[in-house]
Amino acid sequence: MRDEIRKIQQLMEAADYVTDAPVATSVHLATTLRKPLLIEGHAGVGKTEIAKVMARMLGTNLIRLQCYEGLDAAVMLYEWNYQKQILHIKLHETSGRTASEEEREIFSEPFLLRRPLLQAITQIDQPPVLLVDEVDRSDEEAESFMLEVFSDWQVTIPEIGTIKATHPPHVVLTSNRTRELSDALRRRCLYLWIDYPDFDKEVRIVQLKVPQINQALAREVTRFMESLRRMRLAKVPGVAETLDWAHALAALHADHLDETLVSETIGTVRKDADDINRFRAEVAKSGLGPLLATP
Amino acid sequence: MVRFAAALRRHGVPVTPEHVTDGVRALEHLDLADRDEVRTGLRAVFAGRPEDFTIFDRVFDAFWRVATEADRVAEALAPPALPEHAPPGLERAGRETLALEAWQDDGDGDAGDEPVGVPAASELEALAARDFSTFSPDQLEEVLRVTLKIARRLARRISRRRRPSARRGRIDLRRTLRANLTRGELIDLRYRRRKRKKVRLVLLCDVSGSMDLYSRFLLQFLFALQSAFSRVETFTFSVRLTRVTDYLRARSYREVLRRLTAVRDWSGGTKIGESLAEFNRGWPALVDRRTIVIILSDGWDTGHPDVLAAELLRIKRRAGRVIWLNPLLGSASYQPLTRGMQAALPHVDVFAPVHNLESLEALVRHLAL
Repeated sequence: MRDEIRKIQQLMEAADYVTDAPVATSVHLATTLRKPLLIEGHAGVGKTEIAKVMARMLGTNLIRLQCYEGLDAAVMLYEWNYQKQILHIKLHETSGRTASEEEREIFSEPFLLRRPLLQAITQIDQPPVLLVDEVDRSDEEAESFMLEVFSDWQVTIPEIGTIKATHPPHVVLTSNRTRELSDALRRRCLYLWIDYPDFDKEVRIVQLKVPQINQALAREVTRFMESLRRMRLAKVPGVAETLDWAHALAALHADHLDETLVSETIGTVRKDADDINRFRAEVAKSGLGPLLATP
Repeated sequence: MVRFAAALRRHGVPVTPEHVTDGVRALEHLDLADRDEVRTGLRAVFAGRPEDFTIFDRVFDAFWRVATEADRVAEALAPPALPEHAPPGLERAGRETLALEAWQDDGDGDAGDEPVGVPAASELEALAARDFSTFSPDQLEEVLRVTLKIARRLARRISRRRRPSARRGRIDLRRTLRANLTRGELIDLRYRRRKRKKVRLVLLCDVSGSMDLYSRFLLQFLFALQSAFSRVETFTFSVRLTRVTDYLRARSYREVLRRLTAVRDWSGGTKIGESLAEFNRGWPALVDRRTIVIILSDGWDTGHPDVLAAELLRIKRRAGRVIWLNPLLGSASYQPLTRGMQAALPHVDVFAPVHNLESLEALVRHLAL
C-alpha cells in the first residue's frame, strides 16, 4: 500500500471516521488527480461524512450544496441582495444620481449574495471541499449546469464579469440513486460505492462514535442490526440508525440487550409502523436469540 | 491501459479516452505492487456504477493474471459467467435467453428511428383494434412505429399540462428591482410563478411466462415511452425486479433487445408482491406526489396476495396516481378474479386494458396529475 494512502487512512481515522482501503484509495486519487468524487450507496452508510472528514483532514472549509428538485442557478451560484439594494436606493433618492450610476453601484460585489458554487471558487487561501449532497434529487438541468461549472471553474455574472476560481475546490458528490445520473457526470467523476460495513467495521464505528457503551453491548447492537438488515424490511436501517440506537442505549445506561429494552428503544432504528409490527411479532414468536446469533 | 480499456469496452462498460488518461495518471499515484490497491483505484476511475463492478473485476482478473496477448484474454472471458444471484436451474436460464434472442432476430432493421412513412388510415385502424397476441412477428416493426407515435403523443400530453393558477405567483424581486431602478419605490411589480415539479413516470412491467404473448409489445411501448419522455424509470419483474431504464436508453429497439438478453429472469414465474417489495426497498425515493406509477401485469401471482396488497398500498400512499394495465381486460369475458388481482384492485386508481394499440392511445386520459 502506498504511504500516502495509509496516511489518508490514518488521517481519516484520526478525524473519527472508520475507513477501509477502497475509500482511502478513492479519496487519495480524487485529491491527487483533482477529479470530483461521486459516492453512491444506501442511505445512512456515511457518504456525506466522507466530505466532512476530507475537509477536516485537509484543514480546509467545507461548503455544502444540498440538492432538491427545482434547484436553480440563484440557489447554486449567486443572487443579488434585494433588500439591501432597495434600502440603498431609498437612502440615496435625493442625491441626484443618474440611473446608470445607481445601477453600477447596486450591482457590485457588496450587494452580491454568494451561494455555494460561487463560494467554492472564491476561497482566498486554499481549495475548499465542495459537497454536492444528494445530486440525484436535482433536475437534469441543474446537473448539467454544475457540470459546466466543474469543467472550467469559472462563472460569469453579467453585471460584474467573469470570476475565475483561485483554487478549484475538491468536489464530492453523493447520490442515493433515486434517478439515474447522466453519463456525462459519471464520466467526469471518480466513482465510489459504499456498502453497509461488515461486522468488525461497524463495531469499530460504534465504539469510536459512542465510547460510553461497553464492547459487549457494541457487539450485540451491531449483530442485531446485521440481522435486521437481512429481514428485508421496508426501510433498511443504516449505520446512522445503529449509532442513534447506541446513543439511546448509552443514555439509558444499558449494558446488555433484553426484550423490554429493545421494544422500548426500537423506534430509533425502525421508522416504519409495518416494520415495527412485523418485528414485534417476530420477537414475540422466537425471542431475541435468533437476532443476536452469529450468522 | 489502452488495451485494458478496450477489453472493458468490449464487455459493455462505457469507457472514454478521458478514462484512459485518468487511468494512466492514477497508476502514478498507486502502489503497483499492491494488486488490490490497483484494482480499487482503477475501479474508481473506470466503473461508473455498481452494476459494472462484476464485469470490471472479471476483466481486471483476466487481464492482469499474466501480461499476455489480447486474444488470450478474450479466450479467458469467453464463457459469460452467470451472475451469482441468477435463479437456480441453468437450463431454464438458457431457454429464456433463447426466447429473447428469437425476438431479436425477427425484429429486423433499426426500428427505433423516426418513423418515415405513416401507415395509411385504414391499415392503421385495422392494426389499432387487433389484440397484441394475434400479431405475427413480421408485423412487429409496424406496430413499433405506431407505438412510438402514441408514446410521443402521451409524452407531449404529460409535459405540456399546466394548471392556470388563480394567484399571480411570487414577486420576482430581481425583475421588479430592475423595472423600478429610477423610481425609488417599487410600483411596477413583476411576478414569477413557482416552478412546478415535473411529472415522472415509473413503469413496472411483468415479463413472466403468462405475459409472454404481450410482453414483446409492451416492451416496445416501454422503449417508445422512454425515448419520447425523459423522466421515466422502467423496471421489469417476474420472480425478481430488474431496473432496465439504462437498457432501454438505446437508439434502436434491436439494441434494446440485445441489452435485455443480460436480464435473465424472463418468462419465469411471477411474484408480484415480492417484486413490488423489492422496488419499495430499493427505490423508495423514486415515488412521490408527482409520480405516476404504471404496473403492466395480468395479475397472475404465485406469491401471497397479502404481500401484494401491502406493498401496493405503500406505493399508493406516496404516488400521485397508480395505474394497473392488464392485457386480459381486453377480452369481454375476462373477470379480474385471480387472488392477486383481487388483492390489488382496492389500491389502484385506474384499472384499464392494454391489449391493443387503441388501448395504448386511450391511456392519454389517465396520464395527468
